[in-house]
Amino acid sequence: MKALTANRLDDGEVVFWNAGHWVERFSGAQLFDADEPALEAEGHAKADITHLVDPYLIDVVEAPGGVAPLSYRERLRALGPTNRLDHGKQAAGGADVEVLAQAHGAARSTGRVNLIRRK
Amino acid sequence: MYRYDAIDQAMLTDRAAEFREQCRRRLAGEITEDQFKPLRLMNGLYLQLHAYMLRIAIPYGTLNAAQLRTLAHVARTFDKGYGHFTTRTNLQLHWIRLRDAPDILDALAKVGLHAIQTSGNCIRNLTADPHAGATAEEADDPRIWAEAIRQWSTFHPEFSHLPRKFKIAVTAAAKDRAAIKVYDIGLRLHRGDDGALSFAVHVGGGLGRTPYLGPLIRERLPARHLLSYLQAILRVFNRHGRRDNINKARIKILVATLGAEEFARQVDEEWDRSDKAAADLPDLELARIRAAFAPRGFETLPPVSARLAEAKAADPALARFARNNVVPHKQPGYGLVNVSLKAPGETPGDASADQMDAVADLAERYSFGEARVTYEQNLILPHVKLDDVPAVFAGLAAVGLASANIGLISDIIACPGLDYCALANARAIPIAQHIATRFAAPELAETIGELKIKISGCINACGHHHVGNIGILGVDKKGEEYYQLSLGGSGEDDASLAQILGPAVPAERVVGAVDQMVEVYLRERQAGERFLDTYRRTGMAPFKEAVYADAD
Repeated sequence: MKALTANRLDDGEVVFWNAGHWVERFSGAQLFDADEPALEAEGHAKADITHLVDPYLIDVVEAPGGVAPLSYRERLRALGPTNRLDHGKQAAGGADVEVLAQAHGAARSTGRVNLIRRK
Repeated sequence: MYRYDAIDQAMLTDRAAEFREQCRRRLAGEITEDQFKPLRLMNGLYLQLHAYMLRIAIPYGTLNAAQLRTLAHVARTFDKGYGHFTTRTNLQLHWIRLRDAPDILDALAKVGLHAIQTSGNCIRNLTADPHAGATAEEADDPRIWAEAIRQWSTFHPEFSHLPRKFKIAVTAAAKDRAAIKVYDIGLRLHRGDDGALSFAVHVGGGLGRTPYLGPLIRERLPARHLLSYLQAILRVFNRHGRRDNINKARIKILVATLGAEEFARQVDEEWDRSDKAAADLPDLELARIRAAFAPRGFETLPPVSARLAEAKAADPALARFARNNVVPHKQPGYGLVNVSLKAPGETPGDASADQMDAVADLAERYSFGEARVTYEQNLILPHVKLDDVPAVFAGLAAVGLASANIGLISDIIACPGLDYCALANARAIPIAQHIATRFAAPELAETIGELKIKISGCINACGHHHVGNIGILGVDKKGEEYYQLSLGGSGEDDASLAQILGPAVPAERVVGAVDQMVEVYLRERQAGERFLDTYRRTGMAPFKEAVYADAD
């Protein structure tokens, strides 16, 4: 599974794609099972230069209670910093935040699909 | 301290106005991110994991009360009410909105602050001994020379597109509180028997992927030739630096490849054929800068404060604070008061807006309106009467800033790590929090004595792990956070690079491993030995054995 993420241009907020809209919570992200629609969405996002910075696809996996980004880095983006649980998206709490906070393992430091540096 | 003149001020105002227009064009979609990114980076604005991060320069770590209050105001108004002081003595705000950035730069410019030279392949914001102008050990006030370099290097057209970023540190004391040997150029001022000032010039130090201690390439550079000599070094770097490979582009690689002797020869050759007078600082300008750092109007006081002695006798916490955080001043009856940003369990280097305001108030009332930032991520009130130490202690305690742990095991350097930074592989802050909490008991920390732990969340080494007595480097091992431990580093006058202890350990083993190493030290140490001294005498073996004894 994949999801599409970016930072919003005007405030840097982490956002996720859902059928042409951008939402702030990972639980609202559209999940792509197939590559083609995922790449199509990424293409749309890359063309939208007035609202987004650096959109990219991330790997999403099953996690206890739901789904979560495979990469720890991406889970931190979807939650907020672990030294300040009152900052970032996690501050609002909720079952979806709990799923992300409990997910672990198999993380790559970069969550970006097709962007692993080989140099 | 130095106040920006009309030229400096106009430059900042213009720069802020220019960036406002650049932001407007970006938000309107008139320029792309690829076009905008270098512009925002030149104004210290990075995009990190959760938001934009603004890195504000604090030239040579010196702040006045109005500037500190402005930092508090910006943190409160435009961020989440706090800021993070870094190992480069800058302040980073981690939750900035692009649309607010122009207003922030305007607010900063009004008090002579900015984010220039905090990114890009230019000469970066300078660092200097945070005890400058207050310690009896110095040959001269290094900030005079740091300010001269700042003026010379700001927007220097020849050095705005170097092969890689370039960092300079200046001290004038034998005890190195500016980590000059791990800088691209490290300068140490010396005063000869004839009164003449000269610089010892170290070049090619650095941490990161390939750590080096900078070799000495010139022992006695006449101080008046500082700028022409720096120009010669930068010209050699500009000519031969490895622009083809970002991992080999820093000057340390060039110096190591050529050898210090050959590098020095090329610098001398360049220097000899350059027009020194065109680059060197005119005496008149040096005198103008020097006047700005003229000694304060200190009172004549007895060297020992009866009031402080009495207060210490009545309050063991104050006595501990005075013992660990207050350092002798050149002026009898005064002291430098270190303000620890390392309360055990808190984020190293973080200060809330209220705390910054409180330190600004204390600076104004008790320290000639001055504060300093150290590369160890603490603050200093540099000119406090010993009689006033109890009042300063009370003022700091009221805002949670009275931790009496300077130089002790809980005074840990940590970079923002994976909690914030787009480059990090692992978190650094929680590791620091766990270690500091483990050793939070002040008696225990004092029993252990000087022990410098430095933690980086990736190989770029912003947390200086290579020069930690215990260095901790976060690595990504098959997708999990692991930590590579190293021992025996020092970033001070007895500088050395830490050696790797053994295989990296998982996060939950780090505190236990530190505990085991501390136990070895307490068992092995001889009278008067710091952790570093014991390690240097015994070598790695007993520490390694303790940490890995139970490993399969």
